[in-house]
Parts: sequence; structure tokens; C-alpha cells
Amino acid sequence: MDEFLYLACIGLLGTVAASLVRVHLGPNRADRMMGAQLIGTGGVAIALVLAGAARDASMIDVALVLALLASFAAVAFVKATSADGAGDPEEDG
Amino acid sequence: MNPALLFDVALAALAVVAALSAVAGRDLFASVAFYIVYGILIALAWMRLGAVDVALAEAAIGAGLTGVLLIGAWSQLHRKGATETPPGPSSAARLLAAGASASVAVLVAVIFVGLPADGAGLAPAVRENVAESGVSNPVTAVLLNFRAYDTLMETIVLAVALAAVWSLTRDELWGGIPGLRQHARDGGVLATFGRLLPPLGLLVGVYLVWAGSSMPGGAFQAATVLAAVWLLLVMSGAMDEPAIGSTAIRLTIVAGPALFLAYGTGGAFLGTFLGFPADVAGMLIVAIEYVLTVSIAATLALLVAGVPRRQE
Repeated sequence: MDEFLYLACIGLLGTVAASLVRVHLGPNRADRMMGAQLIGTGGVAIALVLAGAARDASMIDVALVLALLASFAAVAFVKATSADGAGDPEEDG
Repeated sequence: MNPALLFDVALAALAVVAALSAVAGRDLFASVAFYIVYGILIALAWMRLGAVDVALAEAAIGAGLTGVLLIGAWSQLHRKGATETPPGPSSAARLLAAGASASVAVLVAVIFVGLPADGAGLAPAVRENVAESGVSNPVTAVLLNFRAYDTLMETIVLAVALAAVWSLTRDELWGGIPGLRQHARDGGVLATFGRLLPPLGLLVGVYLVWAGSSMPGGAFQAATVLAAVWLLLVMSGAMDEPAIGSTAIRLTIVAGPALFLAYGTGGAFLGTFLGFPADVAGMLIVAIEYVLTVSIAATLALLVAGVPRRQE
């Protein structure tokens, strides 16, 4: 069973590797940012599977913190792309 | 090759790729994105090493604060017209930096090889005495009891760092508010996100401090989550940064270290500086941790916010 879980983790790392290619290629900044966000999602999944494999409930907390905070970089990115750097692209419509 | 080892090798390889891309890349924004990714991968690596406390801190800092800080810095550079590919340092400076980095790497390797073969270190001593500390998580026992003076000084260092950042304020802005006034479209995605996530973040923050007494967690990890929530509230326009001249905010920042120091001094009268009596140590540690969490959260959030840029 554990072997299967680690194999699943390797599969999830494959998605991380594919996202790394997207972060590298871009071409837009939004593409790079979304690649990094996808790796955040992959990280949550890997943390959860590792917690199952290690039978360590506290590892689920790492997944919880990652899931809560991984989107914050995207919020900062959205702010950075607004007209005055302090706004919201939806206002600029 | 067993799957766990294969996973470790693949994770290490990806972390190295992300680190190299962050350092060697020519596009500043791509480097920032790679650095955020690197933080996530390193958090997973700490989990595989069994250091869940460190993994939690890395996940909170790497995903929550560093990304916001670096993207904010990139945004300001971009607006000032800083080029994406700045002229590099001279080859002499590069050689010097490479030499210094290589020396540190060799030093770490020598120390690592020289460690005693059983690798136990002080862990058995901590395990024997953890019952005396008042908490059952050995990491919290070390941080808040056995080596409490380290933690006390670290919290003071954080407050001093904030004072150093504030000392860069221009005279006419002294006592003012850090950063620009942030705004978002009412009912838009950003404003909604800024109202949806903070309650969950507060809950996770309070939980992490409580969890810290018996399992991985603690004041620093929780404070990082709370600081990120603070930044999100500011970024979504729901709340403005406080003026740095505000007495309330200054008291919030020093409350944690001051309470810690007061307990330590009280201990000195009873016998040992920072020596907590075993029967009440658990209660004292949880109380200090909660106050420290609030102070560290305010300090981290204001460190990310930077110097004042406007008056009220």
C-alpha cells in the first residue's frame, strides 16, 4: 500500500515537473504565475498523500497551510498588474 | 529501487532545477515564480525528513509571505522602469561570490561528515526531559522552555528589524502609513476573496498555536499565517495599514517579547532566569505563545508593508 502511495506521489511530481516547464517557457507573466499556482495545488496533493503514507496526521496541517496560502502570490500578482499597482484589474475594465 | 527513495531523488532533482532557474534566469519575474515554487518543494522535502514543524514554517513563509513580498518588489521595480536584465556584476565579484559560496558549502559538508555516527545529538536528552517542560511537542519544549532565551532573543530581533525598516522613513512621512492605499472593485473577485479567506485563516492560526503544544505547529507558523491574512485584508481594500506612529500598534509589537521577558525575570526571582516551574510550565507556554503569535504576526505583516509612503 505504502509503495503505491509513493508511486502516486511520483506521478504527482510529474505534474509539478510539467508545470515547471510552463513557468520556464511563459511566454506571459500570467502563464508563469499560473504554472506556479498549479505547483501549489500539486504540493497540497503530495503533502496529503505523504501524510497518508507516513500515517502522520500533523502532515495534513502542512497541506492545510499550503492550500490556504498558495493563492496569495496570485493576489499580489493581480495587484501588480492593475493600473496604479494598488488596485484591481476589474476596476480598470 | 523502492518508490520512496525514487520519490526523494525526483523531489531533490526538481528542487535543484527550481533553485538554479531562480538564480540563473534572465527574466526577473520568472525568477520570482521559480523561487515561490522552490519554497513549496522545500516544504515537501522537510516533510520527508520528518521535520513537520519546519515544513509548516516553510509552507507559511514560502507560500504566504515571500511570494507577496517579492512580487510587490518586482511590481515597484517594473513601475520605476528597472530593466528585466540588469547588467551583471564584474567577473571578479562573481568569482568572489562563487568562492564564498563554495567555502560555505564545503564547511557545511565537513561539519555534516564530522557529526557523530549515531546521529542522535541532543534528541535523547530532550525526550527524557520533555515531561518536565509542560508540553508534549519536543520542538515546542526546546523553543519555549529548554532554550527559551534563543526564542526570546529571536522575537526581539524581529522587533529590531522592524525598527530598522522604519528608520528608513523620510522625515516628513514619519508616523505615516506604509504602502499605497489599496482598493478593489466592490463585489469583485478580489474583494470577495478578501472577505472569504480571512475567517478561515484566523481559525487555522489559532489552531496552529494550540496544536503546537502537542504536535507540530506553534507561534511562529501561526503568526506567519495571520500576517498573510492581514496582508490579504489590506490588498483587497477591506482594511488599511495602521500608521506606524500608532501607540496601539507599537504596544502590539512589543507585547510578546515584553511578556516573555517579564516571565523570565519572574523566574529569576524564583531561582532561574526563564526557568518555568514544571507544574505551571504548560499553561505559561501556551499563554506566551498566544501573545507572541499576535506580536510576531503584526511585526511580519508590517515588515512586508515596508516604510510609510503617505500621511493620514
